Amino acid sequence: MQTKILLDEEQMPKKWYNIQADLPTPLDPPLHPQTKKPIGPDDLAAIFPMELIKQEVTTQRSIDIPADVQDVLRLWRPSPLYRAHRLEKHLKTPAKIYYKWEGVSPAGSHKPNTSVPQAYYNMKQGVERLATETGAGQWGSALAFATMLYGLKCTIYMVRSSYTQKPYRKSMMQVWGAECIPSPSTTTKSGQAMLAKDPETPGSLGMAISEAVEDAASHSNTNYALGSVLNHVCLHQTVMGLEAREQLAMVDDYPDVVIGCVGGGSNFAGISFPFAGDKLTGKHKDTDIIGVEPASCPTLTKGLYTYDLADEAGYTPLLKMFTLGHDFVPPSIHAGGLRYHGDSPIVSRLVHDGVMRGISYHQSEVFDAAETFSRTEGIIVAPETSHAVKGAIDEALKCKESGEKKTILFNCSGHGNFDMSAYDAYYAGTLVDYEYPDELIRQSIARIPNVP
Amino acid sequence: MRCIGFLVNPFAGMGGAVGLKGTDGLLQEAKKRGAVPLAPVRAVAALRLLRDSGIHFLTCSGSMGEDEMKEAGITAYSVEYKAPEMTGADDTRNACRIFLRHAVDAIVFCGGDGTARDVYDIVGTHVSVLGIPAGVKMYSGVFAITPAAAAEILNTAGEVGVRDAEVVDVDEEAYRHGLLRTTLYGYARTPYIPERVASSKQVFEQPDEERAKAEIAEFIAEVIDGTPEVLTILGPGTTTAKIAQVLGIKKTLLGFDAIRGRELVAADLNEGGILALINDEKKWRLIISIIGSQGFVLGRGTQQVSADIIRKTGIKNIIIVATPYKLSHTPVLYIDTGDPALNASFGHHIQVISGYRIAQRKRLFQPDE
Repeated sequence: MQTKILLDEEQMPKKWYNIQADLPTPLDPPLHPQTKKPIGPDDLAAIFPMELIKQEVTTQRSIDIPADVQDVLRLWRPSPLYRAHRLEKHLKTPAKIYYKWEGVSPAGSHKPNTSVPQAYYNMKQGVERLATETGAGQWGSALAFATMLYGLKCTIYMVRSSYTQKPYRKSMMQVWGAECIPSPSTTTKSGQAMLAKDPETPGSLGMAISEAVEDAASHSNTNYALGSVLNHVCLHQTVMGLEAREQLAMVDDYPDVVIGCVGGGSNFAGISFPFAGDKLTGKHKDTDIIGVEPASCPTLTKGLYTYDLADEAGYTPLLKMFTLGHDFVPPSIHAGGLRYHGDSPIVSRLVHDGVMRGISYHQSEVFDAAETFSRTEGIIVAPETSHAVKGAIDEALKCKESGEKKTILFNCSGHGNFDMSAYDAYYAGTLVDYEYPDELIRQSIARIPNVP
Repeated sequence: MRCIGFLVNPFAGMGGAVGLKGTDGLLQEAKKRGAVPLAPVRAVAALRLLRDSGIHFLTCSGSMGEDEMKEAGITAYSVEYKAPEMTGADDTRNACRIFLRHAVDAIVFCGGDGTARDVYDIVGTHVSVLGIPAGVKMYSGVFAITPAAAAEILNTAGEVGVRDAEVVDVDEEAYRHGLLRTTLYGYARTPYIPERVASSKQVFEQPDEERAKAEIAEFIAEVIDGTPEVLTILGPGTTTAKIAQVLGIKKTLLGFDAIRGRELVAADLNEGGILALINDEKKWRLIISIIGSQGFVLGRGTQQVSADIIRKTGIKNIIIVATPYKLSHTPVLYIDTGDPALNASFGHHIQVISGYRIAQRKRLFQPDE
C-alpha cells in the first residue's frame, strides 16, 4: 500500500506547460485602463521584465524553465504526491483520493514555484528591487525568499487585516530580508487616498495591488511582481500538475476529478492546466475540474464574466475575467488568500467555456473538513487549502453514495502552521459564515461589477 | 475625572427567586415568600472592581447606592438624592433627573428590565446607560453580561464605544403565565468594548457600530434606488432608521413605515395598515432587524407583522439587517410567527445583511433540533 509517490530530482519538469496553446480561440486581450485599447508589451515594460511579458502573451505550448531556476526549485521539488489512505478509510469511500503536497517548500506553500522564476527574470534584466502585495502573507513570504536568493530588495504591501492577524508571516519576510508594510499605507498616493476615504478599512488585495503597482511605476529601479491571476504566474505553477500527472502515471492512474482552491486562480491553474489541456485536446475528455472558492467571495460562481480592473485604484489593465467588481471589498475571512474580486483570465475563460467549474463553501464547513483531514492525514492545512480539502471530501462522499470508484486529485497547496489563530476561532465558535448577497446586489443601483 | 450617576433598585430580582417572574407590583408578596434583596450584592460585586477606576460617583442614599459604595470600599462618591425607605420607580426617575442636572458622563444602574425602562424614560439618549444585571428579566440590550463585565467596560475608559441598545417592555402578567410578550420601548445608548482586531480573534468587519450601520444603510439604499417600483416596508430599529436617513426619509424609530424609492408612503403602520397597503401592490419587501438581546427576528417587538403578512410577502422578500456586533452576540436567531409551519419554512439558516454587499449566514433555531 503505497502512500507517497515520489519523482526523482531529474524527473522534475524542465518545461512549463502553456495552456494558451490549446485554447480553441485566443484569450481576449488585456485593455489599457484609460484608452480601453489592447495593451502592448511597451505598456507593461515599466513594471515587468521582458521575459515575463513574453510569457504572458505567447501561445508556445512548452516553455523552458531556466537551469538556474531549476536549481532553486530542486530545494523542494519534485513535491510528493500522497494517496490519502487514512482519509479514504475514515470516509468509507470507494474513491481514491490523492493530494499534491506543496507545503514542503521553504515558504510553506505553492507560491515559490512562481516567485523564484519572477525574481530570476527581474535579476537578469538588472532590476534592483521588487514591489508586491500579499493577502494572507503566503505570496509575500515566497517573494521575500526568492528575492533574497537573487540579491534583490523587496517591498511587500500586506493587506492590513492579515498584517494584524498573521504576525509570523511578516516575521518570515523579515528573516528573508524584505520590508513589509500594512496596506493601505501612507507611503503611496493610492494608499493615502484609500485611507482618506476610509481610515479604518481592513484593506483588500485590490488595494494592496494598487500600492505595489504605484511603487513599481514610480521607481525606475523597481519592478512589480504578482502572485496570482496573470498568465505567466499560472504558467509557472504548472510544474505541480505536470508532476502530479507523472506521479499518477507511476501508479497507472489518471484523475476523474481535479480540485484546487481559487483566489486569484494560480494554485488551481497549476494543478489543473495539464489535465485541462488533456481535456481540450481530447486525450481525456471527461475530467471534472473543480475550483473551490469561499461563499463570501464567490467570483466564479456568482461573478460576471466581463472586463474589469485587477486592482482597486485602476492602475492595472482591464482583464476579461469573472469579477465581483474591483471596488468590492470582501469580508475578512481567515482564508485571506482567497479574498480577491477577480480571477485569472485563463481560469475564467475555461470556466466560462465549461472546461472547468466553480463551487463555493462557507468558512465553518471548510474548517470542519480541515479538521477531518488533519485528524486522518496529519497535515494541518492553510485556511485557503481547506477549501480544496472540503471539495475533495464532498466528491469522495458522493462516490460513497453512488458506489463509484473515482480517482480524485486535489492540490494541498500549503500548511496552516501560521494560521492557528484561525483554528482557535473555529474551536471558539466565533467563525462567521459570510455570504455574498448576490440577489440584492443584482437589484441594487450599482449593479456591480462597476466596469469602467 | 469621569463622573457617573449610579443607582441601585434594591428590590430588583427579588420576585425571580421565589417564582414570581418579576417584582413589579409584587414586592410585598415576594418578601412574604422569603425573598432577599439580590441587587445590592450584584452592585457591590461590580463596585469592588471599580475602586481604582478614578471615577467619581453621584449616587442615592441608603440601599439605592450609598450602602453599596461603603460595602465595596468606594470613597469617591457623593450622595445627590435622598431616597426613602421604600423605593420605587419614581425614585429611579428622580435620581436620574438629578444625575442629568449634574451633567454626568453616564448612568449606571443595577436592576432589571423594569429599572431600565424607568431610567430610559428620563435619560433617553442624553447620556449612555449601562445596566448591572440583577433583575428577573433582562431582555433589554443595555445590560452587561455580568457585574464584572460591567466593571470592565467602566474601567476601559477611552477604548469603549457607544452602541444603540433596545429597551424592551415585558408584559409581566403574561410572563407569569408562561408567555413572553415583549414590546420595543425605545433605544438607549450603551457603552461597550468593540471587538478589537487581535491575533487570537476573528476580525470583524466593522468593529464600530455606527460605521457598520452606515455601511448596511448604504447598501440597502442602493437596492431601494435600484428598484423604485418596489414598495419597501421598514421595520423598527436604528439600523432601519439609518437606511431611511440615507434615503432622506424621516422614519419612526419604533414603527413600521412604508417607502417607495425615496418617498415616504405611510408611517407607523399596524397590521391592518400593512395589509391594506400590500393589497394593492405587485411587489413589496420587508426589511427588519433583530429585536432585543435574544436574537428574535420576528415575533418579539414586531407584532405588526402577522403570519398572514409574512406568508403574503414571501420569505425571499424579507430582508434581515443587523450589525456584526449584534450578530456576534446572538449566535442563534429565533422566529416566532405564531404559526409553527411558517416558522419551519424559514429553514435552519437565514441570511442577514451585515455590511456593504456583505451578508452572514446565521443559524435559525427550529424546534425540531
